[in-house]
Amino acid sequence: MIPLQNFLVLSALLFGIGFYGVLARRSAILILISVEIMLAAVAINFIAFATYRDPKAFSGLVFALFVIAVAAAEVGLALGIVLRLFRERRTANVDEASSLKW
Amino acid sequence: MLTLFLLLPVTGAVLSLFLPEEKQHDAKWIALVFSGAAFAVSVVVFALFNASVPGYQFVNTFEWIAASDAGFRIRYTVGVDGLSAPLVLLLGLLSVVSVLVSWRIEVKAKQYFAWLLFMETAVAGVFLSLDLIQFFLFWELELLPMFMLISQWGSGRRLYSATKFLIYTLAGSAFMLVGFLVLGATAGTFDIAELTAKPVTQAVVPLTFVFWAIMLAFLVKLPTFPVHTWLPDAHTDAPTAVSVMLAGVLLKMGGYGIIRIALPLLPQQAHDSRLILASLAGFSVLWGAVITLRQTDLKRLVAYSSVSHMGYVLLGVSAMGSLGLSGAAMQMFTHGTITGLLFVVVGLIYDRTHTREISQMSGLMHRMPVVGTVFVIAGLASLGLPGMSGFVAEMTTFLGSLDAHPVATAAGIFGVVLSAGYILWTVQRVLHGPATDRWKELTDATSWWEVTAMASLVFVILAVGIYPALLTTAVQAGIAPIAQIMEGVS
Amino acid sequence: MSVLATALYLGPAALLYLGAGVVLLADLIHGRRAVTGLLTLVTLALAAVWAVLQIGGGAQGPILGGAIVVDSFSLYFTFLLTAVTAAVVVGTSEWAAKVEDRGEFYSLLLVSVGSMVLLVQSNDLITLFVALETTSLAQFILAGITRNERSSEAGLKYLLSGAVAAAVLLYGFAFLFGMAGTTSLPGIAEFVRHAGDGLRLPLILAFVFVAAGVGFKMAIFPFHAWVPDVYQGAPTPVGSYLSVASKAAGFAVVLRLFYTGLGGAGTPITHDWAMLFGVFAAASMLFGNVGALVQTNVKRILGYSSIAQAGNIAVGIAAVAAQGTVGPSGVLFFLGTYAATNLGAFLAVNAVSERLGSDEITSYAGLFKRAPMTAVVLSLCLASLTGLPPTAGFIAKVYIFNSAIQTGEVWLVGLVAIAVVNTAISAFYYLRWVRTMILDDPEDATPIETPGGAQGVLLLASAAVLFFGLWPAPLILLAQQAAAALLPA
Repeated sequence: MIPLQNFLVLSALLFGIGFYGVLARRSAILILISVEIMLAAVAINFIAFATYRDPKAFSGLVFALFVIAVAAAEVGLALGIVLRLFRERRTANVDEASSLKW
Repeated sequence: MLTLFLLLPVTGAVLSLFLPEEKQHDAKWIALVFSGAAFAVSVVVFALFNASVPGYQFVNTFEWIAASDAGFRIRYTVGVDGLSAPLVLLLGLLSVVSVLVSWRIEVKAKQYFAWLLFMETAVAGVFLSLDLIQFFLFWELELLPMFMLISQWGSGRRLYSATKFLIYTLAGSAFMLVGFLVLGATAGTFDIAELTAKPVTQAVVPLTFVFWAIMLAFLVKLPTFPVHTWLPDAHTDAPTAVSVMLAGVLLKMGGYGIIRIALPLLPQQAHDSRLILASLAGFSVLWGAVITLRQTDLKRLVAYSSVSHMGYVLLGVSAMGSLGLSGAAMQMFTHGTITGLLFVVVGLIYDRTHTREISQMSGLMHRMPVVGTVFVIAGLASLGLPGMSGFVAEMTTFLGSLDAHPVATAAGIFGVVLSAGYILWTVQRVLHGPATDRWKELTDATSWWEVTAMASLVFVILAVGIYPALLTTAVQAGIAPIAQIMEGVS
Repeated sequence: MSVLATALYLGPAALLYLGAGVVLLADLIHGRRAVTGLLTLVTLALAAVWAVLQIGGGAQGPILGGAIVVDSFSLYFTFLLTAVTAAVVVGTSEWAAKVEDRGEFYSLLLVSVGSMVLLVQSNDLITLFVALETTSLAQFILAGITRNERSSEAGLKYLLSGAVAAAVLLYGFAFLFGMAGTTSLPGIAEFVRHAGDGLRLPLILAFVFVAAGVGFKMAIFPFHAWVPDVYQGAPTPVGSYLSVASKAAGFAVVLRLFYTGLGGAGTPITHDWAMLFGVFAAASMLFGNVGALVQTNVKRILGYSSIAQAGNIAVGIAAVAAQGTVGPSGVLFFLGTYAATNLGAFLAVNAVSERLGSDEITSYAGLFKRAPMTAVVLSLCLASLTGLPPTAGFIAKVYIFNSAIQTGEVWLVGLVAIAVVNTAISAFYYLRWVRTMILDDPEDATPIETPGGAQGVLLLASAAVLFFGLWPAPLILLAQQAAAALLPA
């Protein structure tokens, strides 16, 4: 059986990559994808812990399902707003969306 | 009774705010009635005050916030003892005087008198509170009216001065709150009487920090060198009435706080700091006097002389004996009347000449004999002429501090010499000398409000000077228990 | 537990969700009529009354297998949140009448409040997360509700930062779950209390992620970057809703997570997270106040000021006493008074901003002459934000600082010292604004009419600010009761 640590390292790496993406990317779409990577890392963590720590209870697996569902909702909403902004401004870059100063 | 004294001015303030716009000049009548009523109450309190009964009198109290399981049990408690009774009287008197000298305020009169009355309530609360949190509440309450009064009805760089006042006071009082909370958390009560009876000896932070955290607020307010710089600006730019209140009662909040709270609640730490306090006092007296000597602005001159004279209060305190503390308490009262009167006179002169430059004035005695005479009286009282109230207070202070701090006392006495110098010099330059044509048109102060304002203060100054027992009986009764605590530590 | 009892306990939240649906339907049927606003108000009022009845009736306890708990803590917040939202609805009805998607606005508002009510009742990581996300999603849309660039941009920025925060929070949750083997908060607390020193480091790692995730909702430094932008870009009614309701819910979650979930005082990691929140508090106050000093746009000032205020409130979280819940009771009391204060300030700004034509502080000159009541209320609220007596803000600050010092920890005395210095700094920009309004002369002296609904709410808010400044005892007792529910009896 693959040790738990491997999963944790994988998830940490994914989380790190996602977080880097959030900081480094300028396009709203790419930031969203990075957030999705972070959420995937979280889901891996939950599933791994659920399998290794309490194989009989399902709360970890349930949590993972909720994470996926919420992630989907978030993307749907974000794309909607980006589309509207894009229609108004012809850009999906967060940088150029700067009528408000950061 | 004391609650009535607290509530009267603020009621007047609210009433005058509700005046219709076209009647807004009636605000001064409302202010006069309510501050006059408060003054009457303060006279009654002072007259009925029994100096032979120990402890606080006229106490009103009720449970305000009873959240004892969070260590937040606050009682609303007001009361007077021999220390606060004269100050309450002084506050009542000066409030009436400051309303009188504002008689000609035209701009936004409603708001002006409302803020003035509001300030009276706040200051009264400071003198009457017997609970630390309540004390702090009133201490902070006084900021907003003061800020508004200076920044709107002042002159010169009024916004700058008002802001400077605000920041100095807030920064000082901020640490005071920390000190109070530490004391309260350690003793389990915020009641001043209980804390005095059983001083805290051990807390989470060294008590020396607590002492200085609390002292800082009082030293700023007093004000003491080197945190005095807000005072001359505030005074110079404030309207006359506000200067009167500022010099007359607001500065006393600092001295009162030291004697009422800092010393008896932390006697050991106060005792250990007495040398520092004495040095600060000496510096304040000398520095204030020297700076005063080179002022060319009449109002600024009086303001700096306040720094010097309030140094005597600290000097008396730093002796930490019965005599010194009594002297300090008396000096607070007398300085309030004398400097209040000086500011009234300076204000009257400025109203007429529209300048405060001493070099511009000459021979004013010829033009306005009444104002001139009062100026001379106030000046002589200020330099401590026997027969006037200033003399009694200063002598007591020096007698009290001579043994403990000979050097600082010497500095203090030299300060008196200097003050004789600047006052006589000023009187000579402003009042005497040739009567120039420039001031030919000046009229004397003859309106009833001006005369009443001056006469009442002159009367008090002379009365206390000739018959000091009026004041000393009460003061000594108030000081005795505190002096007993201070003499108990070594 | 019978189905009926469960329904009784879930009442307020269920009612709010139901109301959201009804409002949408009403909007479809009636088109753009005022009925949606009225329906929203009725729903909120019913939910608030329900909460009050529950507080009085003592219908309290865990339900749904412990996933939800109805106790005096959750009821305190249920009432606070519904009342605040009702005030926002009344105070901004004039603005809402001009919004194109009015039905959606009210419906989303109700969804968001309903989820917040669930959020403060959550006793399990899963419920908590789902409720948190539901309310957040609704808020993201609310921030972008008006059809203009700035609003959309505010919505997008809010969403992106919110999504990142959610991911960070979940990462921390995953570790908590991994170590404790359960998602139930009391279960985790049980585990943390008995955790050996070997588990201290992983636990610290987990709670740092959790704190960062919820820090976003509380709007404390360094998770504040979205605040000024969203407050400025989003419509003011939404800004006021976010600054009060969302922040209150954020603090409620933190208290639940760290007291019920991480065991409060006396665990191996108590000191660590208390310190963490102490640092957050100090940093928020400094950053918020210094940031506000240089702003000239009133909405941005309010944004930065809310970061600074979050720092003040966080002092209460850092104040973990060995016994009891003095610190949390301070947080609850502060949030109660802050709700009235900040709502008053935001709604006053909202009431006049359109007619002033600009949000620059200079355009507020002489507001006292043009809209006397609004100016007085705004001044009162600003004095309360500064913490000047006789307003509720003064008592709230003294109380929360007192709770920190009561713990008897030296570093908390230091934290309070930083806090009081910050109070002095904040006076500078709050009172400058007050002075501009009250004393300066307006360039254009035409009177400004404040809409009736807003007037009512403003009067109510200022009455609350004054009342709790002069007579705070009842609210303090309520807050203490509510906070006591955080720990097992």
